[in-house]
Amino acid sequence: MMIDQAPALIIIFPLFISLVLTLAGSLGPRVAYGLLLCGMAGSLLFSLLALGQVVADNQAIHYRMGDWPPPMGIELVIDHLSGIVLVLVSACALLTAVYSLRTAAEDNPDRLHHYYALFALLVTGLLGMTASGDVFNLYVLLEISALSSYGLLARGRGPAYYATFKYLIVGTIGACFYLLGIGYLYIMTGSLNMLDLAEIISRPELQESVSIKIGFSLMILGVWIKMALFPLHAWLPNAYSKAGITTACLIAPLMTKVSVYIMLRIMFTVFSVDYIFDSIAWSQVVIYLASAAALIGMISALAQRDLRMMLCYIVVAEIGYMTGGAWVANAAGYTGAVYHILADGLMTLCLFMAVGAVIYRTGLTSMAAMQGIFQRMPITAVVLVIGAASIIGIPPTCGFFSKFYLIQGAAQAGAWVFVAALLIASLVAAVMFFKLLEIAFFGDPQALEQEAASGHGHGEHGGQPVVARHEAPLSMLIPMVITAAGLIVLGLYTKEVVEFFIGWSIPAGF
Amino acid sequence: MKRLTLVILAICAVIMLAAAVDLPDWADPASPASTHLSPDFLEQGYGETATPNIVTVVLADYRSYDTMFEAVVVFAAALIVLVVLRHTPRKRRKMLQHRPVREGRDTVLRGAAQLIIPVMQIFALYVVGHGHYSPGGGFQGGVIFGASFILLALCYNLKFTIERFREQAVLVCVAGGVLLYAGVGAVCLAMGWNFLGYAGLAGILGVGEVMARSHGILAVEVGVGITVFSVMMSLYYDLASGGDLDEGL
Repeated sequence: MMIDQAPALIIIFPLFISLVLTLAGSLGPRVAYGLLLCGMAGSLLFSLLALGQVVADNQAIHYRMGDWPPPMGIELVIDHLSGIVLVLVSACALLTAVYSLRTAAEDNPDRLHHYYALFALLVTGLLGMTASGDVFNLYVLLEISALSSYGLLARGRGPAYYATFKYLIVGTIGACFYLLGIGYLYIMTGSLNMLDLAEIISRPELQESVSIKIGFSLMILGVWIKMALFPLHAWLPNAYSKAGITTACLIAPLMTKVSVYIMLRIMFTVFSVDYIFDSIAWSQVVIYLASAAALIGMISALAQRDLRMMLCYIVVAEIGYMTGGAWVANAAGYTGAVYHILADGLMTLCLFMAVGAVIYRTGLTSMAAMQGIFQRMPITAVVLVIGAASIIGIPPTCGFFSKFYLIQGAAQAGAWVFVAALLIASLVAAVMFFKLLEIAFFGDPQALEQEAASGHGHGEHGGQPVVARHEAPLSMLIPMVITAAGLIVLGLYTKEVVEFFIGWSIPAGF
Repeated sequence: MKRLTLVILAICAVIMLAAAVDLPDWADPASPASTHLSPDFLEQGYGETATPNIVTVVLADYRSYDTMFEAVVVFAAALIVLVVLRHTPRKRRKMLQHRPVREGRDTVLRGAAQLIIPVMQIFALYVVGHGHYSPGGGFQGGVIFGASFILLALCYNLKFTIERFREQAVLVCVAGGVLLYAGVGAVCLAMGWNFLGYAGLAGILGVGEVMARSHGILAVEVGVGITVFSVMMSLYYDLASGGDLDEGL
């Protein structure tokens, strides 16, 4: 029975935890932390159960909410694609929850349980969007995750309020476009269920309908705003770089990846390959947008002096990779895009966690915080190097394999602009991280200590300046190391992941 | 910049007009929206749920999962305003420079409030309870119920209202309403049906499956009503006093 109900429990479990956390203020921060961990672990468990069943039966699970058959009721659909994204989201959320022990308590001394309630609510929204088989239900959960992310981001420091307010306006515009698109589809088809919509839209009389074309364009535009595709990305670096450490680790890897997943769902489940690449006039332009996003994102990242600002622009560039992979219109590109959702979720999480630990220990967000990092925080430094290697695309990290598929797909499609953008972006990323490592190795750590005015002593030892080791706390180290190991394991098992999961979700027509 | 905004708006307007070209006529009974699912809802709705108001049936039964998350959206709004605005130890600058201090001694206002508020509350309960038969339901009834408390705060003062309905109690209601909704779903799940399959309540309530759906709709509407009214109060408390809950409008 547990297995049958797993699709609903993935989403309902964190929702209940969020409601209980709202009321659990008097029980203290430890209980709140425990409840959050319990919620995230529960989601991960049910996601794994559901994915296991999908792989065992080799067919999608359709879960009818309220026992109503679709399209009258709402259904959850867990197939190979949504299954792995569910596991990714719940695993990243669990790792971030473990990581949050110190930072969340320090950022929210008074309202930790409400902060955690929003945390669980955000994860509920992301999981719900991923599992949903109904375009309007997806919109409702999009609102839940967006709203809770506004609340979490506004808890950040200094100018976080202004950045979040801008994000709120832009995010609402994006959601409105998506809703408007659904409106057009509903008027023309009378249905909201994705599979039912797909069946109706594939009928010949609707192939040339202007309303449906514009509905599709509006939905995609809304999702692009949500996932910060160039040139609609301006809100992202500001909003994410000023967030609290835990908030950034939670939101930056997951929100944009789930938005990419939604784009894939709309493109290939609701609409079809033939429809998009034959009937939509602008579908050829997207590859150039994606190339521009990859290039401009990476070059902007190179120009940043603030660590998290740099990571945020990397996220913008990675969004370009995935968009390009989806729109080169072949199986290799699609595989690369889906694999990159997994890889990029992990590597962004890895980098944000490592940088968060550095910020936590030094109190600085500029690149100067990296000075002497290998002496002061050796494990964090190694995690950072693994994350950086994955962004650059060095084997055996997973970043290499996703880029391999993306370039293969682009080359098959003859999209040489995208191939060039990918290669140049990788080069720029390499330059950027070597610059960072140069500061880490050759920067003067003692200057930093004076700058941060921290109390712990440093003396002369054998003529070499010795810097006190001051590693991140264990609650941050464990999830960091697991994530970094995940990057390598995912890279080593690329063939299996592609064969057992992604290969099954390649849409018909490729 | 302003000119760019105008250009973008103009482009959007042209796109909207272009999209209207092959839309079906206004209120066309042969349009897909009226022929695809609506007939099924209209023909089967009453038979399956014993509830004559089809809007309520679609809202709280066929698409009950959406409605639960709509209630969660309302809940999230209250939580966010609380997290952002409510007074924290890191003392922020006061948001309201000038605060009206009112003693609430105005006889005419108090008299009017005493007359209106009980009627409003009874009517709110009616709107929630009568959602099965007439326009109404949890959202509308909850708004009227919440408005009655805001009227109390306006005609007396904020302190007077908070003494009668403490912030902690409001919070319990905010989460409790959604908890009731999701709890009904979870009970159905525990009874061996899918989440929010109200037919699972039949065994507990001792009625048939159809009647159980009708009762299930009422239960979730009450949950929505509790959340909506307490969220209105929570928002009013925080916004009217700049998050200090001491004095304000």
